[in-house]
Amino acid sequence: MRIVICAKEVLDPDAVNNYALAGRLEIGEDGKTLTQTAIPRLINAYDEQAIEAALRLRDAGADCTISVVSAGPDQASLLKHAAALGADEIAAIPVDPATVDYHSIAFLLAGYIRSSGGADLVLCGRQASDDDQGVVPALLGEALEIPIVSIARAVELVEGADGPAVRVTRVTPDGDELVEASCPVVVTISNELGEPRFPTTAKKIAARRMKPTIVSVDELSLPAEELQPRVAMTRQFVPTIQGNCEFLSGETPAELADRLIENLRKDNVLE
Amino acid sequence: MTSSVVVCTWGEGRDGVPGESEEMLTLGRKVSDSLEVDLNWLVLGPLPDRAVEVAGSYGVASLDRVADTKLADFEPDALVEALAQYCAQQPTRVLLFGQSFDGRLIAPRLAGRLGAGVVMNGVDVDVGEDGRLQITASAYGGDTRVVYELCGVESCVVSVLANAVSPEPRAGEGPDPTLRDIQVDLGGVEERIRTIEAARTEGPRLEDAEIIVSGGRGLSAPADFELVEQLAKALGGMAGASRPLVDDGWVDSSRQVGLTGKITRPALYLAAGISGASQHMAGCSAAKTIVAINRDPDAAIFRYARYGIVGDCLEILPELIRAAKAR
Repeated sequence: MRIVICAKEVLDPDAVNNYALAGRLEIGEDGKTLTQTAIPRLINAYDEQAIEAALRLRDAGADCTISVVSAGPDQASLLKHAAALGADEIAAIPVDPATVDYHSIAFLLAGYIRSSGGADLVLCGRQASDDDQGVVPALLGEALEIPIVSIARAVELVEGADGPAVRVTRVTPDGDELVEASCPVVVTISNELGEPRFPTTAKKIAARRMKPTIVSVDELSLPAEELQPRVAMTRQFVPTIQGNCEFLSGETPAELADRLIENLRKDNVLE
Repeated sequence: MTSSVVVCTWGEGRDGVPGESEEMLTLGRKVSDSLEVDLNWLVLGPLPDRAVEVAGSYGVASLDRVADTKLADFEPDALVEALAQYCAQQPTRVLLFGQSFDGRLIAPRLAGRLGAGVVMNGVDVDVGEDGRLQITASAYGGDTRVVYELCGVESCVVSVLANAVSPEPRAGEGPDPTLRDIQVDLGGVEERIRTIEAARTEGPRLEDAEIIVSGGRGLSAPADFELVEQLAKALGGMAGASRPLVDDGWVDSSRQVGLTGKITRPALYLAAGISGASQHMAGCSAAKTIVAINRDPDAAIFRYARYGIVGDCLEILPELIRAAKAR
């Protein structure tokens, strides 16, 4: 069985968030790019959890190869991390970010999967922490004409009526739901899956020897309309929030609490 | 046939129309005016009680209904096929959905099927001087906004965040909408995802709560969450949490308020020990009254709050519980 994980590199979202909280997140002169060059890039956390989901399947006894693919300008570091986590195969699709959007990325990933022997299970993080769009897995599933099971906290391989299938616990607004779908299938992983493992030193050393397969866009021979972006990011800005907070005063916690309850009652927010 | 702007809803609501209908129709009206095309409202499944009345308030040209037994439970393969067939029959320039859990999957699947563009987390749609569609969306968990211009394709599916638009009905505008029953053939559809165990809501939902007390990193230990629950109970509300508490296993994910958790809109949202990160605020900024308790006077949460207490929530919460219980 072949499991393919699609992974993306993003700016460290915690770092971006800290700048935002401090009111120091800035957009540069191009009107699009964040100015803070010190923010590190790392594997999208949800994608790392997707790799973890695959490793758990292998730990549970699945006879599988785990491949991690990433499209982007310089995926070496991400793929080395994937290898250190336990991927059997790593592949990079070099692309200039200025020439692609999430639609064309989805087609590139579909092209890679088809041309590299197909996949029984495609695992993706539910969304990338930079654009938050979360559309690539669904676009990928449609391109491959396979079902997409989204927002998983657990994935299990089972023998279904028609062959291998996945049983997925989905996190829905109404609680957990258990569904089943026959392979091949795309499953997206949510943070509720839990902590991914750390690579061991031994694995990190071994990973240094693993070379990523470089898959050029040209060799995927995709039709022009698939390579053509459908959206172009023209601007990025930091929204301003108008503050209008009344800070309550009091000598003691008890006073502050009383003052608050008083105000809320006066405003008819509380009875 | 010129392409119209279409607002698509399914399911029931609480006010005789599905939630977010009026917000989507407001945005749809704005875009259709800019494009000088019709605004249509596509309803999948049974027509909601007030649909005709609400459609009239937004100048909807055509209220289109697609009904089929396979749509009974609004399962994804049937929904996507019905929508794709509708769009094949009725040229659509922009298809608007109010962002929902199910919609997160339906919108991009449909775009893939149609060869259209898709943008999620939308907060606005504009038409540029060159006639190109510009969709503003939230990014970095809400820390930034991004404008995407549609290029290379004519049509776009946009999923719009709850609370991004305020309803602006126009009384007595133009003629009543035409009602059309659009036929689709779902004979070939068989849901490829089978439910083994359905989700069961146990008890009231955070999304429906009128009063929410929420805890974040300002709490120092899992046991402290008890204080949040006690205050929620004393106020007659429900307890929520920011994502870090869920990730650390302090509370169940059903309590998670935020962009990837529950989007709530209570009358009162009391945030204890929460920094006010955008990802979290996306889940509660629509609250009528936000109260913040935080040790840091510069915490971002205070930019959203109506009332602020600068202090240690572990000291303030017990006092609030006492004060709330007092008559």
